[in-house]
Amino acid sequence: MSIIEATGISKTFRRGREDVCAISGVNLTIEAGEFVSIVGPSGAGKTALMNILGCLDTPSSGTLIIDKIPVTGKGEAELVKIRREHIGFVFQQFFLIPTLTVGENVGLPLLFSGRPYEPGTIESLLEKVGLSHRADHLPGQLSGGEMQRVAIARALVNNPRILLADEPTGNLDSVTADGIYRLFEDLHQQGITVIVVTHNRELAQRAGRVITIRDGCVVTGL
Amino acid sequence: MNLFSFAVKNLQRRKGRTLLTIAGVAIAVAILFSLLSFSAGYERELTKEMDSLGFHLLAVPKGCPYEATTLILHGGVIPKYLTNEDLARARATDGVVIAAPMLLQQVIKDGTPHIVYGIEPAVMLPLKPAWKVDGRFFTENETRVMVIGSTLAEKENLAPGSVIPFGPAQEQYTIIGVLHPTGSEDDNFHFLPLADAQRLFNKEGLITAIAVKADDVKHIPAIAENLEKVPDIQVVTMSQVTGTIMNLVGSARSLLFSVIVIAIVISAAGITNTLLMSVNERTREIGMMKAIGASGYHIAILLIAETLLITTLGGIIGILAALAGSGIIETFVRRLVPYAPSGSFVSFDPLLIGECLLFSIGLGLLCGLYPAWKSARLSPMEAIRGEWE
Repeated sequence: MSIIEATGISKTFRRGREDVCAISGVNLTIEAGEFVSIVGPSGAGKTALMNILGCLDTPSSGTLIIDKIPVTGKGEAELVKIRREHIGFVFQQFFLIPTLTVGENVGLPLLFSGRPYEPGTIESLLEKVGLSHRADHLPGQLSGGEMQRVAIARALVNNPRILLADEPTGNLDSVTADGIYRLFEDLHQQGITVIVVTHNRELAQRAGRVITIRDGCVVTGL
Repeated sequence: MNLFSFAVKNLQRRKGRTLLTIAGVAIAVAILFSLLSFSAGYERELTKEMDSLGFHLLAVPKGCPYEATTLILHGGVIPKYLTNEDLARARATDGVVIAAPMLLQQVIKDGTPHIVYGIEPAVMLPLKPAWKVDGRFFTENETRVMVIGSTLAEKENLAPGSVIPFGPAQEQYTIIGVLHPTGSEDDNFHFLPLADAQRLFNKEGLITAIAVKADDVKHIPAIAENLEKVPDIQVVTMSQVTGTIMNLVGSARSLLFSVIVIAIVISAAGITNTLLMSVNERTREIGMMKAIGASGYHIAILLIAETLLITTLGGIIGILAALAGSGIIETFVRRLVPYAPSGSFVSFDPLLIGECLLFSIGLGLLCGLYPAWKSARLSPMEAIRGEWE
């Protein structure tokens, strides 16, 4: 069963007087529970595609269906709801709030969703990412790998079906990056759809499917 | 955790900047609170003091009536006099219940001016029912006796029974009574029987002013009109004196208000700038928050909560600082105003405190709106890329 269906997706940006085409006519279907890597050279359109699949940006043309919800033409308020309920995000720079503890950072999405949640949710997520002993620490006291694990726990706190990670190992050494990928593999085993944008072809190969983008077009992995 | 505690933690990131912004708000609110508090307190004390005088009109020699009245109220001396004939005509005027003559003179003792009031107790004491005296009051025909104000007695270490050399000829005068504190200028004066004061200062038959009490406040204008028919007399009503002094104070108040407006505008610009800088620094974080489910509303509420925390805290500190420093400010203000009533201008008025706090909150909302609106409408993708403008 497909969880993401993109048909004829294009994105054009205005830069000065020029229109720059970031992605062009992308058709892509991702099945629920898949582990997908998106690779390609810098400027190929990986992040642009990721932003559209994650409802952070809207396509200039084409249609997109996320978890059976047609996304095309929806306003920001509806996109916020889709992001909140269906998608978890992991970024290269972690984006942890420095004055909040690890536990508070993980629970941040719950503050915005306003949904009641099971007691112990945050603790069990921290246990899942191997940081239950760090709940009361501040991000400044953690290593890069630990910070990314906190960011992954934060992405999972609303029980999303899709996890989108944009260069999640870009700031990490190879050993730590390997640990993060093992975590993704575990999440994939638990049925979460994991989509990772990466430069690292070696790590990308650990996904079930590798999609290569060049000049805004999907060239392999469809 | 809720949005409020999140806002508190956000403000702790740049403690120095947050504290400076709070200090800016506190200074603006302290100035505002002080001015409003002193203005209200001054008017209240002035009215109270005028009421405590016990008379409705003051008949003074022709000249500048308001200056003369202010000098008389303060205990100053004017170089013009009324006569016993003027007093008789005042007493004969319809509607006049009491016309109390006063002779004011000044003596210098050890370089300090002392004010001497020659009064007729029979007519003055009914005007001053609040006067209580340790010892006794003099009668009209006594000589070389005096009653003094409480502050003067304390300052000069005098009590009933004390004998002091007094007047141009340094005659021996006995203190027969000390007034209980009245909270007015009376606490600083020497009171002598009128005839004795006229003799002592060689002003036989002369008086400085006549305090007039009307049978009904409605008759004050008619009495004033009739009294002014006497060639030597000019009449000032106490409400006119209050009005004139308040007008003079009002000019100073307008000037101070313009200073406050400038202080508030600078403070508001500072708060807005701080918030814009803070939002600018956190653009990518805002993008992340939007990605993980925050709406524009959440971001706006978060920023407005941060602003309100700054301004409300600044407001509270400003009011406390104004109350703590009110004694110093009062001393300063007393030197500036044309007439300073004896009572304290400072008042702990809960309504005024509430108004100033509301002002702080309003200032916060006003300053927070633009940064909140701007960050609320950032697209999450642009924000994550750090594109603020």
